[in-house]
Amino acid sequence: MAGSLAHALRSPRVLLALAMVLGLGVCAIFAGFIAPHDPGEQNLLSILTPPAWAPDGDPSFLLGTDSLGRDVLSRLIYGARTAMLVAVFASFGAMIIGTILAHIAGYFGGAVDWIIGRLVDVWMSFPPVILSLILMVGLGVGLDRVILAIVLVDWTRFCRVLRSEVLIVRRHDYVAAARLLGFSHWQTIVREILPATLPLLITLFSLEMAIAVVVEAILSFVGLGVGPNQAAWGQMIADARQYVYQSPWNLLLPIFAIFFAVAAFNLLGDGLRRTLDVRLAQAER
Amino acid sequence: MLVIVAKLVARRLLAAVPILLVVSALLFCVLRLLPVDPAAMSLPTTATIAEIEAKRREMGLDRPLPEQYLIWLSDALHGNFGRSIQFGREAGSLVAATLPATIQLAGAAMVLAAIFGLGGGLLLFHLRGTWFEAVTDIVSILLLSIPEFLWGLILLFVFGVALHALPFTGAVSPNLPQPHVTGFLLIDALLVGRLDVFASAFRHLILPALALGLAFSPAIMRVLRSSLFDVYHEDYIQQARLRGLSERQILLGHALKNAALPTLTLAGVQFGILFSGTLLVEVIYSYPGMGNLMVDAVRNADLPLIEAIGLTYCVAVLLINTVVDSLYVVLNPKLRVR
Amino acid sequence: MGKHTMSLKLKRRAFLQIATAASLAAPFVRPAAAAGDTATIGWPNDVPSWDPNQRFTPDAQPIFKAVYDQPLDQDPQLKLIPHLIKNWTLAPDATSMAVELRDDVTFHNGDKMTTEDFRYTFLERIRSGVKLDTANSWKRVDDIVIESPSKATMKFSAPDPTAPQWMAFLGSYIVPKKYIESGGLDNFLKKPVGTGPYRLAEYELNSRIVLERDDSYWGPKAKVARVTIEIIKDPSARVAAIQSGQADFTLNVPVREVQRFQSEGGFAAELNPITRVILLQVRADLNFADQNVRLAAHHAIDKAALSKAFYGGAAVPLSVVATPGSPGYLPDFSFKYDPELARQLLAKSGHGPSNPVKIGLAATNGQFPSDYDMARAIVQMWQKVGIAADLQIIEYAKYFELNRASKLPEATLYSWDNATGDPEIFSGYLLNPKMPFSAWKDEAVGGKVLKLFNVANYDARIAGYRDVERFAVEQGATIPLLQSVLTVVRKKNLQYTKYGNGWVLPQTLQWS
Repeated sequence: MAGSLAHALRSPRVLLALAMVLGLGVCAIFAGFIAPHDPGEQNLLSILTPPAWAPDGDPSFLLGTDSLGRDVLSRLIYGARTAMLVAVFASFGAMIIGTILAHIAGYFGGAVDWIIGRLVDVWMSFPPVILSLILMVGLGVGLDRVILAIVLVDWTRFCRVLRSEVLIVRRHDYVAAARLLGFSHWQTIVREILPATLPLLITLFSLEMAIAVVVEAILSFVGLGVGPNQAAWGQMIADARQYVYQSPWNLLLPIFAIFFAVAAFNLLGDGLRRTLDVRLAQAER
Repeated sequence: MLVIVAKLVARRLLAAVPILLVVSALLFCVLRLLPVDPAAMSLPTTATIAEIEAKRREMGLDRPLPEQYLIWLSDALHGNFGRSIQFGREAGSLVAATLPATIQLAGAAMVLAAIFGLGGGLLLFHLRGTWFEAVTDIVSILLLSIPEFLWGLILLFVFGVALHALPFTGAVSPNLPQPHVTGFLLIDALLVGRLDVFASAFRHLILPALALGLAFSPAIMRVLRSSLFDVYHEDYIQQARLRGLSERQILLGHALKNAALPTLTLAGVQFGILFSGTLLVEVIYSYPGMGNLMVDAVRNADLPLIEAIGLTYCVAVLLINTVVDSLYVVLNPKLRVR
Repeated sequence: MGKHTMSLKLKRRAFLQIATAASLAAPFVRPAAAAGDTATIGWPNDVPSWDPNQRFTPDAQPIFKAVYDQPLDQDPQLKLIPHLIKNWTLAPDATSMAVELRDDVTFHNGDKMTTEDFRYTFLERIRSGVKLDTANSWKRVDDIVIESPSKATMKFSAPDPTAPQWMAFLGSYIVPKKYIESGGLDNFLKKPVGTGPYRLAEYELNSRIVLERDDSYWGPKAKVARVTIEIIKDPSARVAAIQSGQADFTLNVPVREVQRFQSEGGFAAELNPITRVILLQVRADLNFADQNVRLAAHHAIDKAALSKAFYGGAAVPLSVVATPGSPGYLPDFSFKYDPELARQLLAKSGHGPSNPVKIGLAATNGQFPSDYDMARAIVQMWQKVGIAADLQIIEYAKYFELNRASKLPEATLYSWDNATGDPEIFSGYLLNPKMPFSAWKDEAVGGKVLKLFNVANYDARIAGYRDVERFAVEQGATIPLLQSVLTVVRKKNLQYTKYGNGWVLPQTLQWS
């Protein structure tokens, strides 16, 4: 495992992706230091100013301001924090639920497997966008609610793919040997099966981060996201749409930010998939 | 052959029924937990507390949850989802009025996704082994990173706002009539012989369909390419080469046919996702389909409508999956024998 | 649910489907109207229903005024003028009103409009148990005595000094008695029949309304034969529609867009101050029970900055809930912007920036220009003095529901319509604790208002309201912000009549 990770780190694709993710992570963690302004600070006297290099630009607002005179650059940076928080926690939550159920289903098989399998079927028959919208109606807006909604929608992605991997792994001799050595079921799963599915898990996790970023943007865009007090890229797009003729920058910058984040996680996932030699249907998006 | 397929489709559909039941129960429960009172919301502003209570009883809201669900289910099976709170019309009829527009959009998008996917996949495969390969590979991942929602905004900005080339609101120009025969605007325009309406509806469909098509083609592209790779490792390709067939003949005559199968499976899965992807594209382009209605309903906590639309999306996805599964069996000789 | 009702329901559904198909297929037989004889308006909202008496939705009134007629009308300067009623006499004690209707008016189905319809609209319908918002405005009507097909007298159970104003206000449209009673309400809603200058030719829920000129209209005929009202809820989509030529006229677009259109050829773009007040509707309880908090919330808002930022300075900052030039306006009174005073007031109640008082603020998004932006700006102004507001977005339709159910939060940003300009419909309705429109339920202010509802003398009534308005602001019972501005963008050669209350009436459109 350690060896294959080292191998992965030699792939230029993975390195590029990691650099992009690192950039996002720095923005997210040190938003308070990097951002030149408070992202919520309104400046009603300079509304919709263009970027600083444009003729009417104001040097104190590098990428201009939005319809409330808030600094676009600062909002982009704090938006990265929102996006990363959602991506990390939602993916983590979905991964934990999905992984536990997948291991239980794949390892024990039989009725347990059948029940979990049907549960996944039911879940998957809800289109993800529709399900998350309905959940947000029930949960109300807020960062924690967005994370919860994504976890509740996306655990199936992990469960379905991991289950078949577990099925394969458990047929291996060393798993049977572990049982013969007197390992409990729990020990067998944790010590023998989980490590074998780890490369797939990491890859899925990376791809899920990309999905979470998009879902958060979508929910914020339709006004059912993190709420009006938090800077979010989707919210920026929704605001900018009203003023697209006067300030295209306001629309294009958050679009690019979302694209950048999604591309970073997709590249990372793809690079890991290749270098860790993971069997993965390409349908996982 | 036909009988087998029919049986298969029937069996798959039957298997979908219990799923649908559970889905509907889930939907119902989630929405009943909301802090809104459907009774109060379906009455005018002058209603008294007593009238609201009477309405609650009439709507069965005073009974236990399972019983409420059974009432709702039996009504839903008769096509009655209750009246939409904001429009005062049958939720079912609202869905019926907007569903054709969504199907039309999804269909057009799927055609585009298939064309781009097929073309792109062949191109990627053709470029294999050249230094271009790494570039196209990265590009295809980058393309994969633009969801339909971003494509919608980008296209709107480029072709609508900046170039003024294509319309980007609604399904047809406001100054033209909207004929109603089948509900599918493009078809209806032809049926009533209004070519101007057809042309306008077609122009209005381009950007939303393109946004969806572009978003879903990269996945198809990549699967087609890797399936082609797999096929080229098979013996019969070598044999074909030995028989003296040209590379083009091999690609189009043999390899593509065999690579089609996994691609089709993926396209089917994609179509299910694409169908729900219409939601955001409809919102961005103010396209009068079910997705726009859904967002309206969600913002107004219009429970009957949310339930009706949510269930319709689920039925649509299950239907699409069933059809794709069946197609897969029909096209796959190995599975057919069994 | 019984078997019987189920089958009835199914039958009705089937019938409705056939009816819809028939009514919608019809227009396509007709050849398209000549160019120049049609106009398309991008409109922000659909009608709540085609029953004009049912809901008080200010933004639907101009559409209702195209299909139906009101007993009295207003001229562009908002003076009351005869319409279906030729002349009227309000008794000195305001307990009765004699009216004489025109005798040359027919409904679109050919039926003659008489005092029977008048009595039906303002008395019989309301008493029949149909849920109508007009039940509120006409609840004092005891009887309507019909003297002839064109003459009748309304008898009130208590003085109703504003009855003539209400004859020209929200929901007061004469509906056809015979047509509704014989065909049923559902049929009326499907195929509405009025006496207005246009008949409804085509209707698609939430999408479009097509009006066709009624050539037998009793009054001045509409200039444009076919008007399409395209329902476009999204302000940016309305901008796109007019920009691309898909619409000839649109309203309530962002103010900045108006400024942009002004510099582009081919369009006329206007910012018209109207008789609407943008205000914060406040509650007397929750965390607003404390008068210090309410007054601090008012002192903390920089209205001039709001006007400058969101209305290009065109919206007049207000200190009372009345528009300049209307009878209730107080030119000498001003409530000052003073964040320091706001902080002191909050400190008295133990609050400050480090220990903010938490309140809720509701606002619409896209209902009137810059509403959501303004709400967010107010949240920030409050935050600076120590009020932490939780902003929630509500739909326009939901505002009415929440208000009736007393479920609005402490403050709600709303654009209060008063097409008549009369102070009763500003402060009277806003602060009357017995009205469903009022979020403020309190006796100190409410008691004063209730008394004024019974004052028949016009001058005494106006003077009373001027007192109340000032008192209400000083108590923190209302927080007026700005005079509302209607934004209009139209093709340069499409003229219309500008009304002081912001009505854009399809019948006044004219190509030049």
